[in-house]
Amino acid sequence: MLLGVLVALAFACDLVFGSVNLFSFKDSVMQHTILFDIRLPKALTSLFAGSALALCGLLMQSLFRNPLAGPYVLGISSGASLFVSIAIIALNLAGLSSFYYLGKSLITLSSIGGALVVTAVITYVANRSRNNITVLLVGIMLAQILGALQGLIEFIASAESLKSFVVWSMGSVGNTSFKDLWLIMPLCLAVFAVAFTMARPLNALLLNEQYARNLGVNVDKTRIRIILVTAILTGVITAFCGPIAFVGISVPIMCRLLFKTPNHLHQITYCILMGAVVLLGCDVITQVISSAFTVPINTITTIVGSPIVIWLIFKTRFAQS
Amino acid sequence: MIELKHISIGYSAGNVVFSDLSAHFPAGRLIGLIGNNGVGKSTLIKTLCGYLSPLKGEYLIEQQSSDRYTIQKLSTLISIVLPEKITGFNLRAYDVVAAGRIPYINTFSTLSPEDARIAEESMETIGISALKHKLMEELSDGQRQKVMIAKSLAQQTPVIILDEPTAFLDYRSKHQLFDILKKLCGEQNKLVLVSSHDLDLVFAYADRVLLLEPDHQFTFDSPSVVKPKTLLP
Repeated sequence: MLLGVLVALAFACDLVFGSVNLFSFKDSVMQHTILFDIRLPKALTSLFAGSALALCGLLMQSLFRNPLAGPYVLGISSGASLFVSIAIIALNLAGLSSFYYLGKSLITLSSIGGALVVTAVITYVANRSRNNITVLLVGIMLAQILGALQGLIEFIASAESLKSFVVWSMGSVGNTSFKDLWLIMPLCLAVFAVAFTMARPLNALLLNEQYARNLGVNVDKTRIRIILVTAILTGVITAFCGPIAFVGISVPIMCRLLFKTPNHLHQITYCILMGAVVLLGCDVITQVISSAFTVPINTITTIVGSPIVIWLIFKTRFAQS
Repeated sequence: MIELKHISIGYSAGNVVFSDLSAHFPAGRLIGLIGNNGVGKSTLIKTLCGYLSPLKGEYLIEQQSSDRYTIQKLSTLISIVLPEKITGFNLRAYDVVAAGRIPYINTFSTLSPEDARIAEESMETIGISALKHKLMEELSDGQRQKVMIAKSLAQQTPVIILDEPTAFLDYRSKHQLFDILKKLCGEQNKLVLVSSHDLDLVFAYADRVLLLEPDHQFTFDSPSVVKPKTLLP
């Protein structure tokens, strides 16, 4: 309930705060344009991107039984990024970049494909090693490799392509229009609904895979569903907003610390709402601290998210010792 | 209840861990499973739980071949207690016990009042009602094992399999645990199968003992018959 109010509040703040004071305009057409064509799509994008990434983090953390898992840390966002870069170059080379829906669809599908490949690799590694540190290290290394490959592509890309994905790779919730949102919103809502039906197997997985199987859960099927949900959400959000850091890992941690329930039916709800609050809040901060220019959203999500992760590492280390 | 007819167990035809094993485990009995590390105890437990299919022979549960049971149906027949410590993710003792109701609850994982009552009764039977709201990491190893046994009780299966449940326990807790298991066999007519390296306890409490030895040799008999075979020459 409180989270719902916070989402509404953060959403309203995101509409009100910006580089110009909305109420200083005498011209209502201008006011209308800024509110409905710029700020509303941006606020809706923040809301859905935050929710989606937080949900991905929760699913990854439950699947691997590892509170440090998340789409950005495990290289899933990097996989999506690399495939988007390749798609942008391919579209420019083929001369198709002017076709809006074709271009966006291909970029989104590539992004989902990239996320899917990395998620599958990470899951394979997790099954082989059963060691949380190994999974994290492989994820971090994969992110580095994919980042380097992306650097290579940027190096050889044309000036036009380079500009497109350097801007995009900084992460932004401000580059989406309502045309994009008609793709993002229904897809996210559909996948959120699927996630809620996974509460039962996810709860069983909190014990461990063997217990889950003994409780009648088809673990392989659940794993595939989690991979697909994560890849679709990370892929779509990365395609439209670029790789957004730390929301995926820090929001589920915050939710588990604030709401002491292991039940996924509740945690999924909390993560979706809290993810929206956090990313909307980060977007409001970027608007408040900058007027003539906008600070990239990743700067703020990292400043907010990374201390939470560091604190968690210290907390678990101290608890173990 | 459970019957093994000349089964071979393992991971593939080229990786047979134990072959030609036959035994009958009736309801209401405490069966001890003993043998050196690597001899095939864990593989047998995985086979009994349905994680692995027998490579040869027949594995019957209530006179029906295990292959004919779905994973959902198996979850209402056999429950397991593993040696791994289950902690973290805000899991409290009650949450873990209530997880035993997962085979019976809906997609959205909501417990009915009846499910909640069964979970609470299971905790009461094991004598851990006072631990209900404790986080799993706050519990001692002995208490944690009791929680896992209560989870198995909540699962309401006629068979409970425990894989080295005494591994991390002190002497007193080990005895308490076997007392509980023995009580479950007598009072609730459950078939309890325990793998353990605590031979004295197994021989003191078990009705029958299955000793797995190297080279696919086994003995399945009363503790008094099996015990001499485990003594060092």
